[in-house]
Amino acid sequence: MVERFLGPVAGHRALFVVLAVALFFVRLLPLHSSNSGWPGPDFLLCLVCCWTLRRPDYLPFWLIAAVIFLEDLLMMRPPGLWAVLVVGGAEFLRGRIAIARELNFGVEWLLVSLVMAAIFLLNRIVFTLTLLPQIPFETLVVHLLVTVLTYPLVVGTSILAFGLRKPAMGEVDSTGRRI
Amino acid sequence: MSKSRANQPEEFSRPLRRVLVLFVMLILGAVFFLWRIDSPRVEQFRATLVDKVVPSFGWAMIPVTGAMSMIDDFQSYARLYQQNQQLRDELQQMKAWKEAALQLEQKNARLLDLNKVRLDPRLTHVTGVVLADSGSPFRQSVLLNVGARDGIRDGWATMDGIGLVGRISGVGERSSRVILLTDSNSRVPVTVQPSGQRGILSGDNGQLPPLDFLEDADAIQPGDRVVTSGDGEVFPAGLLVGQVAKDADGRLRVILAADYQRLEFLRVLRSHEIAPITDAGALIAPDPLRELPTGMQGPLLPENFKPASGGGSNG
Repeated sequence: MVERFLGPVAGHRALFVVLAVALFFVRLLPLHSSNSGWPGPDFLLCLVCCWTLRRPDYLPFWLIAAVIFLEDLLMMRPPGLWAVLVVGGAEFLRGRIAIARELNFGVEWLLVSLVMAAIFLLNRIVFTLTLLPQIPFETLVVHLLVTVLTYPLVVGTSILAFGLRKPAMGEVDSTGRRI
Repeated sequence: MSKSRANQPEEFSRPLRRVLVLFVMLILGAVFFLWRIDSPRVEQFRATLVDKVVPSFGWAMIPVTGAMSMIDDFQSYARLYQQNQQLRDELQQMKAWKEAALQLEQKNARLLDLNKVRLDPRLTHVTGVVLADSGSPFRQSVLLNVGARDGIRDGWATMDGIGLVGRISGVGERSSRVILLTDSNSRVPVTVQPSGQRGILSGDNGQLPPLDFLEDADAIQPGDRVVTSGDGEVFPAGLLVGQVAKDADGRLRVILAADYQRLEFLRVLRSHEIAPITDAGALIAPDPLRELPTGMQGPLLPENFKPASGGGSNG
C-alpha cells in the first residue's frame, strides 16, 4: 500500500510511525480509568526488537529514539530514560544480526527476552539510583513476562501483515546493494 | 544497515554512525538527568506537548465512546428482565429512603436555621470533561479539557459529583492533568469522621489507598467516613473522600466515594488562597505595644490600664 508510493524502506518507516501513534492513541483513550492492576504488554518494544532483527534498515536508530522519546513524554514516564535503554538494546541486537540470521526462532526469542529483561532491570536500577518512586517488583515481572510472551505474536503479525522477513544470504535490494 | 546506506564505503560510515548513536543516547540521558534535577521546566514542556497532541484526538474519541456505550446498551438488553425486577425492588427501597430523606432535610434546615450556618460562599467550581487517560498500573492520572485559559491552577481539588478524585498537577493552556488519589505520588491529609483521627491518605497505585500516620488506629472502625482535613492547606477541609475498610492484613484502607470506574465529568474546586493563621491572636486594645524603656523586658501594659484591686505590684 504505502510501499508502492514511498518505496519499501520509507514505506515501512512510515508504517512504524503509524503503528506507534495508533498504540499511543489506544493507550490514551479514556476507556480503562480503573485499571485491574495488571500491566499489558509493551507492544512497541516488541515491534522495535522484531523489526531490528529482521530488517535493520527499516528502523534507523534516530527513528526509534524519536518515537520512544515521544512515548516517554505522552505516557508520563521520566523523559529520555526508557528511550536511551531501548535505543541501546536495539543497537545491541543490531550488532548481532549476523549471528541472529542463522538462528531458529526459539533462540532468537531467548535473545530478545534477555535484552528486554536487561532493559527492564537497568530501568529499575536507574530508578533506584535516582530515588524515583518505584512500581512493585511483581508488577514489573508480570509486565516483562507478558511482553516476552507477546513477542511471537508481534513477529507473526509483522511477517504476515507487513511482509517483514529475514533477507536471505546475498540478497540484493532494488538498487543492487547487498542487504 | 550501514551497508545499505548511501554510496559511502562501509569503513567510513560505520564509525561515524556509532558516534551518532552515542551522541543521541547521550542527549536522551542528559534530558533524563535534566528532568531529575529541574523537573518543573521539563514538565512544563511535557504539558505543552500534551496540550497540543491530546485535544486533537477528540474527534476520534467520539466514535470509540459511542461504540462502547452501544456495547453496554446491548449487554443491558440481554438481561432486561432481571434488571426490571431489580429496579422494582430498588424502587421500593428508595421510596422508604425518600421519606427518610425528606424528614432529614426538614430537620437539617431547622438546625441550620437555629445555628445561622453560612456555607462557604466562595467555593465555586469549574467543570471539565475527561479527555484522555494515560493511566497504567504505574501512573494514575487523567487529563481534563480545562486549563489555564479557564483559570485552573496547580493544586486545586478535583471532585466528581460525590467525592474527591484528585489534585490538579500540571496545567496547560487548554488541558490540565489530575493526579488521582490512587496514584503512588498522592498524599492527602484526611480526618476520619466520628473519632476525629487525623492521618494521611497515601496512594499506592491500587484501588484502595491505605491510611497512614494515624495516631490511634484502634479508634477507627470500618465504615467510618473519611473527609479531607484541610491540614497543610492543600485542600479545603471537609470534602468527602470515602469510607474506611480493613483489608485482610488488618491494614486500614479507604473505599473511595468517587466513582473511579466512570470518570467523565469532573469539577475542579476553585479554592482561593486559604488565609493562614500565623500569630496566636493579637490583643484588641487601642495601643497594644509601646516602646520599651531601656533595661526592661516584656510587653508593657496599656497606659489607661487600671490594676484590679490587690494586683499590679509590678505594673
